[in-house]
Amino acid sequence: MNFDFSADQKELADHARRFLGESCTFDRLRDNMAGEEAYDRSLWQQMVELGWTAINIPEAQGGLGMGSLELCLLSEEVGRVLAPVPFFSTVCLGAHILNQLGQESLREQYLPPIAAGESVVAVALMPGLGQLEYADGCASGALGPVAWLGAADLLISRARDNHGTECLVLIDAKHATVARRNIDGVVLDGLVRHGQAEFSATPARLLASGDEARRLIELALAQAAILTAFEQLGGAQACCEMARDYSLERYTFGRVIGGYQAIKHKLADVQVEIELARSNAYYGAWALATDAAELARAAALARISATEAFTLAAEENLQVHGGIGYTWEANCHFYYQRARLLAINYGNADYWSQQLLAGLQAAH
Amino acid sequence: MDFNDSAEEAAFRAEVRAWLQQNASDYTEPLALRQGDPRIAEMGRSWQKQKAKGGFAAISWPVEAGGRGASPIEEVIFAEEEGRYHVPVGPFVGIGINLAVPTIRAHGTPEQIEKFARPTLLGEILWCQLFSEPGAGSDLAAVRTRATRDGDDWLVNGQKVWTSWAHTADWGIMLARTDPEQAKHKGLSFFLVDMRSAGIDVRPIRSISGESEFNEVFLTDVRIPDSQRLGAVGDGWKVAMTTLMNERASAADQSQSLPDVESLLAALGEQGRAANTRQLASLYAREQGLKYFGLRQLTRLSQGGNPDPISVMSKLVYANLLQDVSALGLDALGLPGAFAGRENHEAKKFQYGYQWSAALRIAGGADEILRNQIAERVLGLPGEIRSDKGVPFSQLPVGR
Ligand SMILES: Cc1cc2nc3c(=O)[nH]c(=O)nc-3n(C[C@H](O)[C@H](O)[C@H](O)COP(=O)(O)OP(=O)(O)OC[C@H]3O[C@@H](n4cnc5c(N)ncnc54)[C@H](O)[C@@H]3O)c2cc1C
Repeated sequence: MNFDFSADQKELADHARRFLGESCTFDRLRDNMAGEEAYDRSLWQQMVELGWTAINIPEAQGGLGMGSLELCLLSEEVGRVLAPVPFFSTVCLGAHILNQLGQESLREQYLPPIAAGESVVAVALMPGLGQLEYADGCASGALGPVAWLGAADLLISRARDNHGTECLVLIDAKHATVARRNIDGVVLDGLVRHGQAEFSATPARLLASGDEARRLIELALAQAAILTAFEQLGGAQACCEMARDYSLERYTFGRVIGGYQAIKHKLADVQVEIELARSNAYYGAWALATDAAELARAAALARISATEAFTLAAEENLQVHGGIGYTWEANCHFYYQRARLLAINYGNADYWSQQLLAGLQAAH
Repeated sequence: MDFNDSAEEAAFRAEVRAWLQQNASDYTEPLALRQGDPRIAEMGRSWQKQKAKGGFAAISWPVEAGGRGASPIEEVIFAEEEGRYHVPVGPFVGIGINLAVPTIRAHGTPEQIEKFARPTLLGEILWCQLFSEPGAGSDLAAVRTRATRDGDDWLVNGQKVWTSWAHTADWGIMLARTDPEQAKHKGLSFFLVDMRSAGIDVRPIRSISGESEFNEVFLTDVRIPDSQRLGAVGDGWKVAMTTLMNERASAADQSQSLPDVESLLAALGEQGRAANTRQLASLYAREQGLKYFGLRQLTRLSQGGNPDPISVMSKLVYANLLQDVSALGLDALGLPGAFAGRENHEAKKFQYGYQWSAALRIAGGADEILRNQIAERVLGLPGEIRSDKGVPFSQLPVGR
């Protein structure tokens, strides 16, 4: 039994933390939200150069051939700084799904550009966000809101064929038959640009259908849950540190607010929730890396815990900051809104709770 | 990251299983005894003896101390396997093994270690912890039980309270005040007390369950030889900190007679589960998170690391979880559960869990004290403002 990451893996995480800490500042987030570009292209380019888009792609397809554990740690660091790049959809999900495909020709065609940072992927797997109909090599319908759909090169989506069978298709998102736009304006979390699109007989590659499609989707959702949990952990820990630091600087009634027990106990509770979430996330990482039979249970546990921890941490971080916490200049809002977005994304707490209990019942 | 037993761990587990099959066959059913019944302590004594014979009494202690010299992971493997049986383990034995002996080994003379360590390991000495007093609980350093020098001895007068299993203990570890004119943490000394000494009066206290697991202990002119002082005169607080650190580390032990989330799921039935899905999933995630948290801490210890100050959260989380799980279980079972008798083990678990969780949130560091510790030692927030610093103990105000 060894329930920790290896020294090499921790070094990778440390390096990522230093790099992102210096390059992905809050000012940069504000600039990104004010700008036209959907994501931060220069930050993305730096990540590409560091090999992050190649991390889970086999060497034969131009990748680094590392496992899920490294991806977990990078996700945590991306979550800590809220990096406005399509890392999750492209690397954590896009490359993962393509990697699982039986047909080598598809892997050969689509993985190398992802590894090289030339292909950004949007992924639409959850029901209720529009519908695509697939027939004879073409897809039609509408999707959205889907993260990065307005900016992606490729789209991997759930669809239905003309027999009503579930399938998984791949689409060139820049094709002329795709009418797409970014959803802007006042939204919950403007840093993760979501898009909408209509598809009119858009050429589409069938990746899988029927049982195979369902298997791939289920696997991708487990992967999404565990990597999102790490992203949430990073955000939660950042909130806890931010609140702690502020509570040591702010004076009321002649002393720092961090000395008041109401604040101390609040932050202690936040740290405890984070430790519980981290422990479940590690279990999820192990299940992913070893393709364990417990993967579905581990995914639900990781996700439920991490959502609770990030929600509490983000809400209490803002609370500890008082009025300034509600302003655009203070940085609490980035986490406050991201915590909710991640709580909703890829299955909310109700969804994962049902999954968890159904699994437990089936085990009896 | 590897979650499974290593080859050696698996071999050890198999050895333990085989040994338990041979030796724990008397304990396949829950004990039909009330909490605090002296027979439980006697059973605990013989189980401890049996474990010692099998070489499992002190798995992670060094060999020269009578242990097995194995890793903390193997210690946990044994506890996991042992936990499949209804063995008589608990504070009646645990206070000696987990608190008294580690404290004696850290601060004792060679003679003291010789006299107490191995006999405790063999179940020959049962211990109790004479720390808390009516005016000293969370604020333990406020103890006023007085020890005064009398030739080669000390004379002790005062009152201890909440002393678990004092009625079955052979010896006690005690914190007493030797100099009330010093500031409160400075005037304390630590003693090993023979519970059969003249002047000791142990009186049971009924707990909320109606059972008597703990006691008041009155000490009247109890004579303690100076050779039973542990650590220097005035160093009592330092010695007690060793005890408390060990107490925190062992406080979240779980038992067969307490409900877990699986038993809650069973008690709720299909309808109950459907109506409480989100809360159940959340409780289950806490329970499992706590388990994996323990494994993370264990990994740290087995790699030679020091205990992490955050590890005090185990008891904090467990006690509250137990209360929530038990309450939900009792709600679901309704009056038949609330009035179920001993033969209904499943319902009894929830009754007992609801009662015991209230104790667990207080004993061994109350929730609020643990939150303070986490805030201060993990997050670096300021300590509490206190009005007792540097003031001679005799001049401190007292309330109820
Ligand atoms: C079942 C059981 C078994 C026990 N066994 C033993 C034993 O064997 N030996 C032994 O020595 N003791 C034993 N104890 C005693 C236990 O250690 C004390 O009860 C505990 O330390 C709390 O002390 P207290 O009861 O005096 O409560 P108090 O210290 O009076 O606390 C009352 C309340 O005030 C809160 N509080 C206190 N100080 C602060 C603060 N600074 N900030 C915020 N809140 C605060 C507490 O958290 C608590 O909620 C046992 C207790 C129980 C319940």
